[in-house]
Amino acid sequence: MLRFIVRRLLVAAATLVVISLVTFGLFFAVPSSPAKVMCGKSCTAEDIAQVEARLGIDQPLPRQYTDFVRGVFVGRTYGEGDFARRCPAPCLGYSFRNNQPVTEIIAQRLPVTASIVAGGAVLWLLLGVSLGMVSALWRGTVFDRAAIGVTLAGASMQVYFFGLILLYVLVYATGLLPFPSYTPLTENPLRWAAGLLLPWMTLGFLNSALYARLSRAQMLETLSEDFVRTARAKGLSPRQVHLRHALRAAITPIVTIAGLDIGTSLGGTFITESIFGLQGLGKATVEAVQFLNLPLVMATVLLAAVFIVVANIVVDVLYAVIDPRVRLN
Amino acid sequence: MRGRTRTLTCGVLAVALVAGGCTRTTDSGGGGEEKKTKTQTGSISYEAADNRGPAAAVDGATRGGTVTVMQVSDFEHLDPARNYVNVQQVTGGLLYRALNGYKENGSGQLLLVGDLATNPGKDVDGDCKVWEFTLRDGVKYEDGSPVTSRDVAYGIGRSFAPSLNEGPHYIQQWLYPGGVYNAAYKGPYDGGKPAPDGITTPDDRTIRFTFPQPHCDMPYAAALPTSAPVPAGKDTRDQYDLRPFSSGPYKVKSYQRDVALELERNPNWDPKTDPLRTAYPDGWRFTFGLESAQIAERLVADAPADQASMSWVDVPPAVLPRTTSGGVAERVVKGPTQYTWVLNINTQRVTDLNIRKALNYAVDKDAVLKAIGGQAAGSPATTLMSPTTAGFHQYDVFNAPISGDRAKVAELLAGKRPKLVLAHSNIELRTQQAEALRKNLTDMGFDIVMKPIENSSYYDEIGRKNNPYDLYIGGWGSDWPTGSTIIPPLYDGREIVAEGNNNLSYLNESAVSAEIDRIRKLPAAEQDAGWMALDEKIMRESVPVVPCYYDAAYELHGSKIGNTFLSDAYGILQANTIYVKQ
Repeated sequence: MLRFIVRRLLVAAATLVVISLVTFGLFFAVPSSPAKVMCGKSCTAEDIAQVEARLGIDQPLPRQYTDFVRGVFVGRTYGEGDFARRCPAPCLGYSFRNNQPVTEIIAQRLPVTASIVAGGAVLWLLLGVSLGMVSALWRGTVFDRAAIGVTLAGASMQVYFFGLILLYVLVYATGLLPFPSYTPLTENPLRWAAGLLLPWMTLGFLNSALYARLSRAQMLETLSEDFVRTARAKGLSPRQVHLRHALRAAITPIVTIAGLDIGTSLGGTFITESIFGLQGLGKATVEAVQFLNLPLVMATVLLAAVFIVVANIVVDVLYAVIDPRVRLN
Repeated sequence: MRGRTRTLTCGVLAVALVAGGCTRTTDSGGGGEEKKTKTQTGSISYEAADNRGPAAAVDGATRGGTVTVMQVSDFEHLDPARNYVNVQQVTGGLLYRALNGYKENGSGQLLLVGDLATNPGKDVDGDCKVWEFTLRDGVKYEDGSPVTSRDVAYGIGRSFAPSLNEGPHYIQQWLYPGGVYNAAYKGPYDGGKPAPDGITTPDDRTIRFTFPQPHCDMPYAAALPTSAPVPAGKDTRDQYDLRPFSSGPYKVKSYQRDVALELERNPNWDPKTDPLRTAYPDGWRFTFGLESAQIAERLVADAPADQASMSWVDVPPAVLPRTTSGGVAERVVKGPTQYTWVLNINTQRVTDLNIRKALNYAVDKDAVLKAIGGQAAGSPATTLMSPTTAGFHQYDVFNAPISGDRAKVAELLAGKRPKLVLAHSNIELRTQQAEALRKNLTDMGFDIVMKPIENSSYYDEIGRKNNPYDLYIGGWGSDWPTGSTIIPPLYDGREIVAEGNNNLSYLNESAVSAEIDRIRKLPAAEQDAGWMALDEKIMRESVPVVPCYYDAAYELHGSKIGNTFLSDAYGILQANTIYVKQ
């Protein structure tokens, strides 16, 4: 187990190095100079050179990359003299637009996205998986048919459509719910939940549809397998057969997809954030691209990669825990 | 005020300025109202009563509450040296005080009075070359220290720094005429003097500007934020944007870029020193990153949590129909801004005056306006300057019906069918507008060739003297509400250069230039009428453009915001005398 985790971590680290290199290369290929964008319209060549020096992008690319990597571990200082800005480790860059280290911006924005995803994931997993399992067990009943219908509708809808309908019905037209807002969980858990109810409902309903369909199919497949028949033949109660044997086997592919979904979402839920006016990592990333705020783009791309890589490792480990057929070594 | 920033660099700054002019024209019909023309009675006032603090109390207004301002995007700059966009200037006005400012009460009367200064400036020798301002007694910063004339000089000094170059540079250019404003003096950093040549501070409360040439517009230029005081010890250079040191009624409480800006009271601001601001709300909260439709929907819905909210973002077309019913309509603030949009005729290429006149009879202004959203987006124009300009009066040289005068066009063209190249920005809105024009002009007897240009380089392309186009739409707004920041930049042929022109019709007539010189030397009070007369003379004799429409603002606020009106100086909801209904 330990060896497996160590090996996966090494592969993950290598992946991140490759992604950071590619991202760097891409920025190098950007036709317009970020310094020029930062400097404005009436900017002289001299001013641009000054900004470039402050950003450190006047250096050759390999040097820029090693500076970046060193910054991650020991921090770095941008600019000199009066313009010096300290960026403590782990330094993912310094945003001159915001005048703060990129890690600070991420620390402000990530909790918003994480809160959206956490609540949404709990909802969609609970709803989706239980709906799917129950449908499978009650296959062919009215409940099953209704569930299939609802989930088909949900799976074919888009966040921006369903979200706007919810907003219109629950906020604009009736005023039943306030417009979403973000309050830190540590500040006021109740307001945190109340402010995020709409995005949770939206993500929960749409994604649960997918998970319900998936778990129903998985469960049906598992129920027809030999080991389930064996379990039944051994005289186990239906409850034991379904929960201890069938569910465990059926849920592994769902864990894989959920892990990836959550990992991807943590990197930013731009559409959801936009619809509900929440300032999460997704919006930060898109804004950073619009303003060519390269240090922030770089950091958010890397962070998104970290989430996916980590989610993968977690999924692999969970596999071993859930499914006795899988052995890690 | 946001002339160049809002129009000419619109394409470049489109992302940052969705709150400003670039989206203004996306409004669509609905909410139409009869065409209203108003006469702007603005002037510079030296009356003691106008210049005295405190600002007149607003009937029924109460102190307290927090105003929420919902915006699409964050401000580019709040640093007074870099502040050149209307929404930033109105917000800046809550934080710091320039030498002069605009006093408004919603009646259309716009008065320029002293803000930090006791009056709008003394023309010492009566030749507009030496201007002296005396600061009010008792104006304090947020830490309780007094505002001095040296801080005003230093504030102007730092606006010369290349790293803070985004603001307006009128005073800067006047101090160093001929060439780039900061070629000789680059601000107080890196060993520079704290103040530029030509500015002296004989004592703590006096600041004197000496210009090589007369500038009778100085009172207006001194209302731009670059004359706000910045104490050298509090100058954080490029970080000053995020926390300007307050000399106004509010100070920055917190600022999270692209997310929210919170202002709280500056306890050291004394209302008795301030003729412009009532500062009724206890605080302001600006939230950024919302969609314009979201903002409009929330303000239409007027939920309890949003009732003390407002926005400087125009209501988008999709929401307009819901703003006309009772309960919402009275919360709409609309009216003309300082922008006029014209169809520029490249006079270097279209030299036949009859064709230029024919174009004026031919253009269907209704169709041009409908293409971008109808009456909410603007109203048909017949003049070069906007109705918000001081001394404005409406005239119409051609008196053509709104959809054109076919007979007149035929008469002027006399059987010819001129072939003209119509250039337009390639964004959807401008393409639709150009298409409407093409249809209209083709129908009226012209051969029109469409030439789309990448939006971000549109003004660069048509600003090239030798551009190969005959017709192109463009908008311009004044930096202060007089003709001096409209007629000279747009119609003085001597200012034409190879690239980056503002004179997009490339009109170059010595009679016009001579008249510009004559008006510039008039006392400020007489200039307004002079610019208006020249406006009409240009349209009567030179016909360099077809005036198309006056840009309009269409903004919403919640039901608990009181004393709302459109600022004539900034073209958006005013902030100085607003209050929260308790």
